[in-house]
Amino acid sequence: MNAVVEYHRPSSLDDALRLVAAGGTVLAGGTVVNAGTRPTGSLLVDLQGLGLGGVAGAGAGAGAGSGAGAEGAILVGATTRLSELASASVAPDWLRDLARRELPSALRTLATVGGTIVAGGGESALVAAFLACDAVVTLAGPAGTDDVPLADLLADLLADLHDDPHDDPHDNPHDRGALLGGRIITSVRLDAGGAASVHSTARTTADTPIVCCVARRGAAGVRVAMSGVAPTAVVVDDVERLQPPGDFRGSGEYRHHLARVLQARALTELGAER
Amino acid sequence: MSTAAGPTNSTTNVTITLNGSEQQFIVEPTDTLLELLRREGCFSVRFGSDSGETGAGAILLDGRLSSSEVVLAVQADGHRVDTLEGLSAMRDELDPVQAAFVATLGFQSGYSAGALILATHALLAENPSPTEAEIRDALSGVLDRETAYVKAVEAVQRAATVLRGEKPAPFGPLVLPPLTDGVHAVAYDPAPTAPGTSPAVPRLIPSVDVPPMAVVGKPELKVDGVRLARGNPAFSDDIELRGMLHCKVLRSPHAHARILDIDDTAALALHGVHAIKHYKNTPRVVYASGGQSWPNPHPWDQVSFDDKVRHVGDRVAAVAADTPAIAEQACRLIDVTYEVLPFVLDTDAAMAAGAPVIHDQPDAVGVHDAARNVAIHIEGKTVDTATLAAAFAGAAHVFESTYHVHQVQQTPIEPHVAVAWLDESERLVIRSATQVPFHVRRIVAPLLGLEVKDIRVMKPRVGGGFGAKQEMLIEDIVGHLALATKRPVRLVLDREEEFVSSRTRHPQTLTFRTGVAPDGTLLAQELKVTANAGAYGTHGFTVQSVTGLRGLSSYNCPAKRFECDVVYTNRPVPGAFRGYGAPQALFALECHMDDIARALGRDVIDFKRQNWVKVGDRLDIVMFLGERGTLEPADVDPATFPPVMTSGIEECVAQAARAIGWHRRDDPAWVAPADRPHIRRGIGFAFCMHGTAIPFLDMGGCSIKMNDDGSFNVMSGAADLGTGADTVLGQIAAEVLGVPLSDILMYTGDTDMTPFDVGAYASSTTYISGAAVKKAADAVRWRIKVRAARLLGVEEPCSIELRDRRAWAPDGRSVSLQDIALNSLHTEDQEQIMGIGSHVSHDCPPPFAAQFAEIEVDTETGQVTVVKLVMAVDCGVAINPITASGQVEGGMFQALGYAVSEEFAYDDTGRMVNAKLGPYWIFRADDAPATEVFLVQTMEDSGPFGAKAVAEIPTDGVAPAVRNALLQATGVAINEIPFTPERVHRALHPTG
Repeated sequence: MNAVVEYHRPSSLDDALRLVAAGGTVLAGGTVVNAGTRPTGSLLVDLQGLGLGGVAGAGAGAGAGSGAGAEGAILVGATTRLSELASASVAPDWLRDLARRELPSALRTLATVGGTIVAGGGESALVAAFLACDAVVTLAGPAGTDDVPLADLLADLLADLHDDPHDDPHDNPHDRGALLGGRIITSVRLDAGGAASVHSTARTTADTPIVCCVARRGAAGVRVAMSGVAPTAVVVDDVERLQPPGDFRGSGEYRHHLARVLQARALTELGAER
Repeated sequence: MSTAAGPTNSTTNVTITLNGSEQQFIVEPTDTLLELLRREGCFSVRFGSDSGETGAGAILLDGRLSSSEVVLAVQADGHRVDTLEGLSAMRDELDPVQAAFVATLGFQSGYSAGALILATHALLAENPSPTEAEIRDALSGVLDRETAYVKAVEAVQRAATVLRGEKPAPFGPLVLPPLTDGVHAVAYDPAPTAPGTSPAVPRLIPSVDVPPMAVVGKPELKVDGVRLARGNPAFSDDIELRGMLHCKVLRSPHAHARILDIDDTAALALHGVHAIKHYKNTPRVVYASGGQSWPNPHPWDQVSFDDKVRHVGDRVAAVAADTPAIAEQACRLIDVTYEVLPFVLDTDAAMAAGAPVIHDQPDAVGVHDAARNVAIHIEGKTVDTATLAAAFAGAAHVFESTYHVHQVQQTPIEPHVAVAWLDESERLVIRSATQVPFHVRRIVAPLLGLEVKDIRVMKPRVGGGFGAKQEMLIEDIVGHLALATKRPVRLVLDREEEFVSSRTRHPQTLTFRTGVAPDGTLLAQELKVTANAGAYGTHGFTVQSVTGLRGLSSYNCPAKRFECDVVYTNRPVPGAFRGYGAPQALFALECHMDDIARALGRDVIDFKRQNWVKVGDRLDIVMFLGERGTLEPADVDPATFPPVMTSGIEECVAQAARAIGWHRRDDPAWVAPADRPHIRRGIGFAFCMHGTAIPFLDMGGCSIKMNDDGSFNVMSGAADLGTGADTVLGQIAAEVLGVPLSDILMYTGDTDMTPFDVGAYASSTTYISGAAVKKAADAVRWRIKVRAARLLGVEEPCSIELRDRRAWAPDGRSVSLQDIALNSLHTEDQEQIMGIGSHVSHDCPPPFAAQFAEIEVDTETGQVTVVKLVMAVDCGVAINPITASGQVEGGMFQALGYAVSEEFAYDDTGRMVNAKLGPYWIFRADDAPATEVFLVQTMEDSGPFGAKAVAEIPTDGVAPAVRNALLQATGVAINEIPFTPERVHRALHPTG
């Protein structure tokens, strides 16, 4: 139960940004914000009235259109539910499968793509998939909209977490929301074209992976991203440079071992080398 | 409220189309949709956890399955919400999906029935012919701790069939011919069993010794199935009482601390707070919380509120307030001054010199050695020490191994719930989700300063218990607060509280030492155990005694000894958990016996068979362990040791080995598949033997009365936890009285209304409570026969038979039971036909089982994937083969979590770091391995209609079978569970 006293459902992005500027906590699907971790703020800003949902093909240079975009480009609205991404015909099967696996059936219908990027934490295989798709996040702010590579956004967050070691990366979605600096994610552009390979290790087949490696061979070569090896999902250029934090499901050393093994499998499957 | 922007400061109006009708509600912005729906009477929407991953609160939000715990009511404004209540308006009416779940036993307790049924509707609306994988994915959001999901999958398939306008096949057991003569082993038959049959259906191998019966042994529908499928308000929390207060418990943030002071002034000043209880205002009465027979085994080391906390999550104070939010806020305002003390989590550290003394209070009763933190010491032996030593000395081989089993939790989806109020006579009524209403009443009375007669404990439907609810866990808290406030008080634990303040399975370190003759015969066996009692000793004596009993009963051996220390630590508290000491013992024993077989170059099944107990063998160690004091070997005549009267183990082994494809383990190409070089495959076996109730101790009572229409009220003290106990007890009564199950009205677990019963534990309900029902029914049957003989002019009542709702004379004339009832109640020489029965057993006939597990292990990552579990169980006559197979499936899944995924993990302050479902992983519908269940009948004459126990033995064999499969696949023996990827990887690659 929250200690919230005010709920807002703005119908325009400008209203939403004003509320966020006033200290509001963004409420997307609610699976994190409404679940136990109690926001200290007294102002919730529900994005459902903004019309930011939907998945569409987005060919190079094109806006949201119909059908698969050129070379697998996809535009995903921020409040698109994971269940919608999991059934989006423009998305490749492997990406749909990861959207489905991210949460069980009664939560993926609520959780959103934007919320997962902000609050998914280091164990989100779906965010790793977005990184492997060279995701570019569109952020709306008081000064207009920005397109920021997801990798840069998460790198900033990672730096922030390193600065404050007391920040528990898995438990502080609100602090993560604050990282956006008063901005709101409106959409994510993915390049999901080309072959991809996903390998992971978990306690059971449906469990959140301890480490998940997503490799995609796009026009610009092979991109590898992983979950479970840092406080956020990360792009992995050199697996040897990883320094995974450990927890009860896997020590740092073991996670590093998994990163090597799973990357090797993914690259082998793609017929690629590092 | 409109969807336009605008602040809402306190209550607000929302418009929701609820079950097809547009309605306005007044809500607080903080209300969850779950809270709103329950307030509006949609009790099928139930609380499982704050974060929604149990799915118990799932509803359809605009047609999509959604966990209502994580949706704010204001978020649902302008949307469509559907719950189970909207599906079927007419009394007893079921739609095709509900009907399919009832027909296949797709749910057991029914706590999450609404979610399962709505998930099915959502799936079939989009996809009328889903694949099994699609069904499992659709159900992935609804955690079920009671089943293995296989019957729920069957229910969805069946519903899809009906909705497509097709006719589903009847659902009942698949009867298979035996492979053995019931006694002797047969050569392994690699022919596959009955291909194409649904895995949801039990394979039943009948015994020729079992006579034909009308109701017993039949796949009757659960007596409570319809009301549960309709989502009726059947559970403890499904009531609203006028003026009800809500309780929250302030819990310790420290693993070990003394409370120097509590100041509740600020909290009491908070508007809406009515009472706060803590050590300064609550009488100090020592007790043991385990729901066990009087007198509770020692130690008695708890009080309602202490001035010391002994684990993170221990009780500090409890608040009753107008709302849960106010109670929570008040907890934050209570000022507690702690003196933080050093703490220990493990037994070695707890027993080491200089360790903090956890129970240093002077009033604890019966602590074995408080200064060393040893709560309990247990010894039992079948021969004197010199004889044991001689037996080891004379053995050709002596094997010794040590095994570690860890802490896991029962995690029923329904948390602990209790509601207490004073009735019109100012007696205290406690409505509680408990397995042991009578024990709760007896234990809670002195804590509240009341007599037993001042208290009524009622147990409505229970949403799973598994031993966690075999405790007086929270009833004293609501009792204290109801007495203090004179208002109804409700307490529901949240999921984190369930993890840290409920009960768990005892972690143990077990060392087996076994002397073996050259031919493989066991000569001497010793089991030494160090068990972790956590912060309190509840159930510590009996659980660990059962470890000794089960560890030293499966195999014949002329010299046995058991020794155990049960040691206090600062962990959350272990207690009763389905299997109750046996899963720990059998993990160690079945690994140890596999290791010995390998060392001797023997086939594992052959070696175990050479030594396992058979019909006629006597169970010796049982005489030297237990609650009623232990004996010395010289004091007991071996001729009085209870003998094994029935065993179907050879048939179990033959059927299950064939079903798992046991021969494949010897095929190198199967073990190491060429196309997947990092995969190894294996199949493991465990021999399982359990007990049936505790002899001379477990007791059940029953009364039955006949109604005007020839139906019967059966009142039993037993507690159905979702197991189907009410159904099984009803079937026993129906069989005796010659009526269909629909003429039996079951009422159970109410200390005012039903006879005494110890409660639902120790595999005793069918055997003990069932025998009491049978005795009561026999008494009623006799009165019916007497009255029928008079009405039919028959001399000998003995010659009357009851069947098909009528009493029959030998000449074929008959009178209906209704006419007999009307005659006896209204017409002539009136009497209330009723009977009582009570039962305590001097036997505890063991059920037997063969457990097999097929696994794959990724040798590079250590990930173990359990592919299939097959269990063949001899539970005597399964009174209801469908509910019995549901017990086996669900038990195996709990055991599977024990083996591979579940564990309590702590940080360096002693706080549990994964007190949340997900991080604490229990199996979901979409990662469930295949299962196959065989029920091998034997006719156990000491049980009602031939029954033995079935509910606990499924928890015994999975972990050792998985471990032995891993050993066979890789050659590496891992003696510690769970087999999580890193642990397995470390074992496979010890040098890194």
